[in-house]
Amino acid sequence: MGLLIDAARVATALNTVLLAMLTYVWARNYLQFRSKHTLGLSVFSILLLAENALAFYYYMLDPLLAGWFSTAVPAPAWRAMLILHILEFGALVFLTWVTWD
Amino acid sequence: MESVLWYVLTGTRGGANRARLLRAIDERPRNANQLAEDLDLDYKTVRHHLDVLMENDIVQNSGDDYGAVYLPTDQARHHWETVEQIIEEVE
Repeated sequence: MGLLIDAARVATALNTVLLAMLTYVWARNYLQFRSKHTLGLSVFSILLLAENALAFYYYMLDPLLAGWFSTAVPAPAWRAMLILHILEFGALVFLTWVTWD
Repeated sequence: MESVLWYVLTGTRGGANRARLLRAIDERPRNANQLAEDLDLDYKTVRHHLDVLMENDIVQNSGDDYGAVYLPTDQARHHWETVEQIIEEVE
């Protein structure tokens, strides 16, 4: 189970980094272009960034939840969560690759 | 085409420079070398951005290899209102 928790923590940390990169590009472009399109991309990436930063906080740092996530959540539930994080990671890798161009 | 323009010019890291290139060749068709000089960009960067713009059918070139001159496509001209809306905000 410890490995699943660590993998989930790493996945949310990586997602947070990728979303920070996307937010950087899109927010900068929004400040320059002020268009509805760039606003939409910026808001999207900021909200998803918040989601992943929060997940990381809950898994690692929150005084109550971090303990609970590392001891009381059974392996099948972790496995299911991990798949969601990894799918999101794959999606973000691809999006970052095309956006960084 | 409009969503392509928004994506290529404002959705990516190099978008602002692509918008500057598009504005420059709209003013006067130029080759990659002139564009690099006039916009103070690296030649390889310019070539890369021009390739992206060509892939997306936003610019075309005159075809004569090394000195090829780049200009907007008919497609881009057809949606020039959108292009103008975007490049107005650059610089």
